[in-house]
Amino acid sequence: MTRWMLKSLLLEPLMLMIAIASAASAFLLIIMFEGIFAGESEQIVAYVRNVKADVWVMQRGVSNMHMATSYLPDWKVRQVGELQGVEAVDAILYLNTVVEAGEHRWFSYVVGLDVPAAYAGPWAMSVGRDQPAVGEVIVPEVFARMAQLEIGSQLRITDQEFTIVGLSRETFSMANSVIFINKIDMEDIMSSFDISSFMLVKTTLGATPGELVETIEREIDNVHALTAQQFLINDKKMAMQMGTDTIALMTLIGGALAILLVAFTIYSQAARQRRELAVAKALGATNGALYASVVFQAIAITLTSVILATLVAALLMPVLSKLIPAVTMLLTVASVSKIAVAGVFVAITASLMPARQIARLDPVSAFQSRG
Amino acid sequence: MKDNSVLQAHHVIKTFGSGHTEVRAVDDVSLTLEKGELVLIMGPSGSGKTTLLSILGGLLRPTAGQVYIDGTDISSLSESQLPMIRARSVGFIFQAFNLLDALTVEENIQFPAQLIRGGSQHASERAAQLIERLGLGHRRKALPRTLSGGEKQRVAIARALINSPPLILADEPTGNLDSVSGQEVMMILHDIARDEGKSIILVTHDPRVEDVADRILWLEDGALRDRKTEQHSWVHDPVCGMRVDEWTAEIATIHAGRRYVFCAQRCLERFEADPKAYTENPSAVIDSAGQMGVDS
Repeated sequence: MTRWMLKSLLLEPLMLMIAIASAASAFLLIIMFEGIFAGESEQIVAYVRNVKADVWVMQRGVSNMHMATSYLPDWKVRQVGELQGVEAVDAILYLNTVVEAGEHRWFSYVVGLDVPAAYAGPWAMSVGRDQPAVGEVIVPEVFARMAQLEIGSQLRITDQEFTIVGLSRETFSMANSVIFINKIDMEDIMSSFDISSFMLVKTTLGATPGELVETIEREIDNVHALTAQQFLINDKKMAMQMGTDTIALMTLIGGALAILLVAFTIYSQAARQRRELAVAKALGATNGALYASVVFQAIAITLTSVILATLVAALLMPVLSKLIPAVTMLLTVASVSKIAVAGVFVAITASLMPARQIARLDPVSAFQSRG
Repeated sequence: MKDNSVLQAHHVIKTFGSGHTEVRAVDDVSLTLEKGELVLIMGPSGSGKTTLLSILGGLLRPTAGQVYIDGTDISSLSESQLPMIRARSVGFIFQAFNLLDALTVEENIQFPAQLIRGGSQHASERAAQLIERLGLGHRRKALPRTLSGGEKQRVAIARALINSPPLILADEPTGNLDSVSGQEVMMILHDIARDEGKSIILVTHDPRVEDVADRILWLEDGALRDRKTEQHSWVHDPVCGMRVDEWTAEIATIHAGRRYVFCAQRCLERFEADPKAYTENPSAVIDSAGQMGVDS
């Protein structure tokens, strides 16, 4: 039965190609949504992931960076710096706000650096300086290109003008960008002085981040310390929660489209094979066997479509990333696995459509067909 | 049930519709088929031959009556049990061959074997024997679309035999074949009944087949009737003058209260275009020994 159904599929290669191409288009849509979601999710936490801290320290009650507010008096920064196991502390003052350049407005993480910052500043530069002095700003290269800015151009953060002195890489996403200014400017913007938002702590050789977290929480009042690994997990979770609904809706639409396309394909396939299915039934095939073979066809079409869509996505994503630098796309094993599982669900759901058709097949029609 | 009988039908009735629209397609048919017997069921179009064949093969449930195949009352079996009876105990041969387009000759023949538990075990060996026996050795890997009508029907016969069923049901097996291929197919069926002891019911309009049958049954209006004493009732096609057996002729029309039968659709169309040309010509009127038209 399986061989028959497989060979039946291959008997009309054009129809099969159309079916696979249709379903693959729907899956490609889902993969692209997933890719954008995965890419943007990674990019939203780019700062936390890339700076070289081992431990993050923040105000008690705060456990992530995305859309969070944290205040720490600077004397606590000095206290942490004196603890055993601490090699260095970079303190940042941080604000989520809108950066304006001409008609361009972009929601950004604005990081106020206590210059010279050892490792809290931009981790990859395209051009210019990575340590902003007062009145200076470092912006993402993509942002600058989109807003037609260059070194020496001006931009506005809240009510203050800044001069661009550096263009950073890997710091841009659709949801937010990472902008670096001097901590003194940030204190002016926030009208708050001698405070920091986060401490980025490096451990000494031999000290583990876990041990240092315990030491900090024991020795310093009203702070929350987390290993960089845990802080990244928390931040990503929060960032994804905020974008999940939209992406889930888009994925749902793509999934529904895929189900419809695969269902239509399988239904048409079963309709085309109606005479042969009736013959098989007359010869002794059970409804269950016929249905299983239709499910097999559905799974074969769907999985081929998923593989094709994945290959096309893998080829397309780097090209799209160059053409549309504002969008970060990422093809991960996890998202492809998710699509494959969704594909099997789509195949089985799609197979339900011809189930009734098969159950009602009249084997007597095998006698009535005339070639 | 007799020991030697493969098929028994007891007072089988099949009706379609209800009330005023009720049609009795099979009317109280009883028959017994012995092992190795080749029985012909003949009758006019719409007489219920295919319906009866479908009931005997477990494809259709009778409204009343019982059908036994190899001692099993198939009319009492559930829908889920019938496919196994069809696969194990009945071999079907269709007029339209009904081969599976995507499968090769060999795969088509083996197909029913895969429908029964353990059937695949000796299927390729048995298929090879059948392929040789039916002269299909050179077409083993061919797809149905590349076969001639006669070859297709030989593949269908091999497919019907793959599970060694005791009963073969054939619906107009020569209907789509030329005379040579038709004769060949009939001889194969005859040999299968004689050599392998298979019981065969063959529904046909083809009078040439009568010579190989052990028994001929006449089905009319859903009921089995005595076969008329004459072998044939020959009349002439009023258009082309060809001799046609009015008992088996499928193409007919009524004109001015008389029934006319034709050898082909083309002749009927010509007749209907200008009936007078064929009914008013005295030379076309033949008497009852070889009459052109028969009172309806």
